[in-house]
Amino acid sequence: MSKDKDIIVCVPGQRLCVSDKYNIAGPGTYEQQGYIYSKLAGVIKLIQKENTRTIEVHGITEQSIVPAPGDIVTAMVTIVNQRFCKCSIKCIGDIVLTRPYRGILRKEDVRAIDKDNIQMYKSFRPGDIILARVMPMTEAHTYQLSTAENELGVVIAHSEEGVAMIPINWTQMQCPKTLRKEFRKVAKVVPEHVIAEQ
Amino acid sequence: MAETVLSSGEKIFILHGIDADFRNDGRRRCEYRSMEIETKLMPQTHGSARLHIGNTDILVGIKVELDIPHADKPNEGKLEFFVDCSATATPAFEGKGGDDLATEISNVLIAAYQTRNAFDLKTLCILPHKKCWKIYVDVLILQCGGNLFDAVGIAVKAALNSTEIPKITAATLDGGEPDIELSDDCIQLDTSNYPIIITLCKIGDNYIVDPTLEEEVCSTSSIVMSVLPNGKISSVVKLGCGSIQFNTFTKMLQMGEIIGLKLNKTLMDVLKEENQFGRQRRIFGFLK
Amino acid sequence: MPVDQRRINGPEVSVPYHIYSDFNKKSDKVKHDFSKRSDKRIDSEIRKIFLKTGIVSQAKGSAYIEMGNTKVVCSVFDPRELSNKNGYCMQGEIYCEFKFAPFSCQKRKIHQQNAEEKQYSLILQRALEPAVCLHEFPNFQVDVYVMVLDNAGSSLAAAIMAASTALANAGVPMFGLVTASTIGIYGNHYLMDPTDTEEAICNTQPDNEDDFNHGIITLASLPQHNQISEVFLIGSIDTNTIKQATEILTAANKDICPVLQQCLVKTIMKLHNEKK
Repeated sequence: MSKDKDIIVCVPGQRLCVSDKYNIAGPGTYEQQGYIYSKLAGVIKLIQKENTRTIEVHGITEQSIVPAPGDIVTAMVTIVNQRFCKCSIKCIGDIVLTRPYRGILRKEDVRAIDKDNIQMYKSFRPGDIILARVMPMTEAHTYQLSTAENELGVVIAHSEEGVAMIPINWTQMQCPKTLRKEFRKVAKVVPEHVIAEQ
Repeated sequence: MAETVLSSGEKIFILHGIDADFRNDGRRRCEYRSMEIETKLMPQTHGSARLHIGNTDILVGIKVELDIPHADKPNEGKLEFFVDCSATATPAFEGKGGDDLATEISNVLIAAYQTRNAFDLKTLCILPHKKCWKIYVDVLILQCGGNLFDAVGIAVKAALNSTEIPKITAATLDGGEPDIELSDDCIQLDTSNYPIIITLCKIGDNYIVDPTLEEEVCSTSSIVMSVLPNGKISSVVKLGCGSIQFNTFTKMLQMGEIIGLKLNKTLMDVLKEENQFGRQRRIFGFLK
Repeated sequence: MPVDQRRINGPEVSVPYHIYSDFNKKSDKVKHDFSKRSDKRIDSEIRKIFLKTGIVSQAKGSAYIEMGNTKVVCSVFDPRELSNKNGYCMQGEIYCEFKFAPFSCQKRKIHQQNAEEKQYSLILQRALEPAVCLHEFPNFQVDVYVMVLDNAGSSLAAAIMAASTALANAGVPMFGLVTASTIGIYGNHYLMDPTDTEEAICNTQPDNEDDFNHGIITLASLPQHNQISEVFLIGSIDTNTIKQATEILTAANKDICPVLQQCLVKTIMKLHNEKK
């Protein structure tokens, strides 16, 4: 639409170019009758590869994001019972959501091993902040979550005294004030610089 | 609307049938299913009609009451439509499920009868500023088998046609208070230019009239228009989540007009025929 | 329709006083001078449009439109999960709410939506649905709220355009922009973008003429794809006139489209420069 120094701006429904072997429609665009159109109001990005060019449109406001299977989410546990716990998803990756989404974590998805002996009350308590992965949607309405990975599970939990507890092993956390131990499915939080080194 | 679930194979089958101008029930694209209509079947009403088309079953009852005219329209009566999509028709209408559809249908009816060319509200006035007739048109959907709009339109017209309003022998102002005398005779409404509603349902590249429930599921957009017997269109509205091209739209419009005029004529002939039986006619009602 | 009993709506049957005071003038109103319009436009001319995005900071996307004296605000909020009434929906939904501000029309409107507003909400929804990529957010609902601050005619068309701009501003994926315009028909007169008085005139049929075209058509379209997304006609018009009128409206919608585009480009440039 208008070219200002280095950016190309487009609006929804604007025809961008012909769709062929060279030009490929990327995110934020759609194809119709041999042409590529924009879906969003935003900036065009061209991604050059050997013999193709992917056309992407990036919205200028941050996208309304919705949990997708495979995403790591941060959630707060709201209800725990013997078979599952309900959570409210607060963040996806490092993006804070404006609206929480409902998620459910079933007993069999708490950890990967020794699945028969999982007890929900020994894994989560209401109010815990957990890291979890979104599972593929099998059933309607709610997102199914899983913590069956070492890095997933409870990150922040408070004791009865209201003090943040410290993890002591992968199933227990301790209150620094009363020194009482409580059971949790603790996440092995990997500092970000370690991930970067790997 | 109703929970009719079709697989893509079934949808393609219907679509191909329509392309070939041969629908699942053997009809052509612009053919209606046969209708059964009976009027004056409810003794408590001033006019009533029941319409059967396929599995769609509509009952319309009309009540006439006295009211005070609106202050901004002192010499006009009132005409109101109420549509009830009760859960007896389909479970999808349970609770508030039918509300949207009911509003939609009553909106179309209001729009269709809004122009003076169709319904002259002035004929309902008895004493300007003081007294007028108010006609309540209550539409009850007993069964839902597709094409509700057309069916309701026809049933309402038939019911209004059968409506009898008591004749007023004297209407005077007695010290500012209206004084009205009614006689036992009745007058009929002037139904010569009442609209009927035609739905053109776009499926694939073609459009059809009188869709069944299954056909409605296949369609993404349809046009609901009301046609007056003098060839005018009194309302048009597009339904469904799809869009249409300009050319298709004008073609659908023309088609709707032709069908509307024909349907109107047939309906009036049938109603006249029924009327000729007079009071001795056996009323079938729900005993069929 | 059941009305909320807890809210006090004032006396139920109050009427604006002008309907009594204007009694003698009323006859003039019918003899409206069609040779020139009140705001000196020619019949085929639309009012100037002012459009601005991002006026509601709390909303994901918002737009304000002004067409003459008609003023409409629209805000769009983040998608929210559908309450699971009918199980999982493969397609997302848009929910529209159209409301006249209580003081926007000649007659005061109550806080609750009346039948007309409900109908306009549905029309708005159907006008936008073909343009939004509903498959991109299954089981989610995007809320669109439209408030008419001042109704000086063609407010439905203004609402549709504001909503489409607000949706684009919110970053909701769309197949194209929706533009809309209104035409009033009165005999041989085709009044583009009618004001509220012109709308009232076009809605009434003169007393002694039966074969007379009158009515109002609002047409929403996707001008980038030459598609009609919604038609709303009320009145009594023959098919040929409708055909002609829709042609005029389609052309007008195409002309309006750059206004929306420019407004969005301006927003993008502004945000882009702020980011830098």
